[in-house]
Amino acid sequence: MAVYIATFYAHFGAVRFKRLCDGWHWPARMMPVPRRLSSSCGTCVRWEGEWPTPGPVPEGEMEQVVLVDGDTYQPVWVAEEC
Amino acid sequence: MNLKGEKTGIILAGLVIGVIASLLVLFGNPANMGFCIACFLRDTAGALGLHRAAAVQYIRPEIIGIVLGSFILALGKGEFKAKGGSAPMTRFVLGFCAMVGCLMFLGCPFRMIVRLGGGDLNAILGLIGFAAGILTGVFFLNKGYSLKRSYQLPVLEGAILPAVQVVLLVLLIAAPAFIFFTEPDGGPGGKHAALIISLIAGLVVGALAQRTRLCMVGGIRDVVLFKEFRLLTGFAAILVGCLVCNLILTAVTPGTYFKAAFAGQAVAHTDGLWNALGMYLVGFACVLLGGCPLRQLVLSGEGNADSAVAVLGLITGAAFCHNFGLASSADGPTANGKVAVLLGIAVVAVIACANTFFQEGKKN
Repeated sequence: MAVYIATFYAHFGAVRFKRLCDGWHWPARMMPVPRRLSSSCGTCVRWEGEWPTPGPVPEGEMEQVVLVDGDTYQPVWVAEEC
Repeated sequence: MNLKGEKTGIILAGLVIGVIASLLVLFGNPANMGFCIACFLRDTAGALGLHRAAAVQYIRPEIIGIVLGSFILALGKGEFKAKGGSAPMTRFVLGFCAMVGCLMFLGCPFRMIVRLGGGDLNAILGLIGFAAGILTGVFFLNKGYSLKRSYQLPVLEGAILPAVQVVLLVLLIAAPAFIFFTEPDGGPGGKHAALIISLIAGLVVGALAQRTRLCMVGGIRDVVLFKEFRLLTGFAAILVGCLVCNLILTAVTPGTYFKAAFAGQAVAHTDGLWNALGMYLVGFACVLLGGCPLRQLVLSGEGNADSAVAVLGLITGAAFCHNFGLASSADGPTANGKVAVLLGIAVVAVIACANTFFQEGKKN
């Protein structure tokens, strides 16, 4: 399975998404947003699984999703007005 | 930059910042106050006449430099983004409360580290309170605390605070009669490094903090939340850089830059309980703000209008502290200050609860 990272507007968005990943039985962990992804210092979720997800994600809380490819990140989804 | 490179960068940046903080004292800043965001915002508020404490009035170029250093680097790296709209009034109040805590302790989290590097053992009590405040804030974060998202804003909105810094620099250089300056022997405000040295120091610290996202609150928060030590190593590196440089300066100059003691420390008091409670308030408020006062300045430079509002809250808090006798002195905390800290903790707790358990449309 591919590895993705999602960033959020607020910490609790990450908490809620992590719970969804747990529900889908995807290995997932919360961590600080990597510096190369953003100059902000929020919380992201890194998971092994799929994108799009099999169910809905927290509305309006997710900022972007990137595919992790070694040391690089490929954007796969970006919220409007980012 | 991979994660290992990121960690190395943070350590190097922390060491450089610690050395700069120590050297600024050599060049004229008050002892153990090479850098203090709270004290420097308070001095700037005094210079603008927002309070009339004659001992602490000076437009500090370090603050100007931090915001502009972050602004210039963010602009150059394409990271300048004007955004805001995430509970601005709440952030103003949190900034205000954080300053009340800072001026009880007599320093922001950055100065707490600088004081430790100068051997001020009172800062250990401050650190304990600070960590406890952060733990309290993390409890609310994990329970769902959120000030809601920010939104993209017109570029001008994010550029205003950096532009204000340019105006302040002009006022500092021109020194018109309506700007207040502490007399050279009149108190901490009268002690400062040369303008150009302070400005360059601020620019370097602002740029380094922007690149590395150094944050005194984030360091402890990330360890608690994620067992992630990267930001904390920056925190530790500032302490090591400052401590080693202070020891060297003490050895090679006539001055004393390190003295391990509780009593007799510069711009500090020895009331351990109120040192701890003051920094508890700072840690609690700053977790809810998303960063320490230094981080708020750096984010303001990146165009974050929410952080700019938090900075305005810090400045207003500083003015109130000196207008209403809330700020401590070397003699200790004031009765008004103690009441204000307790009220501040209560206000921050209400904000935390309201934005955790009583949010509109919240779905767990």
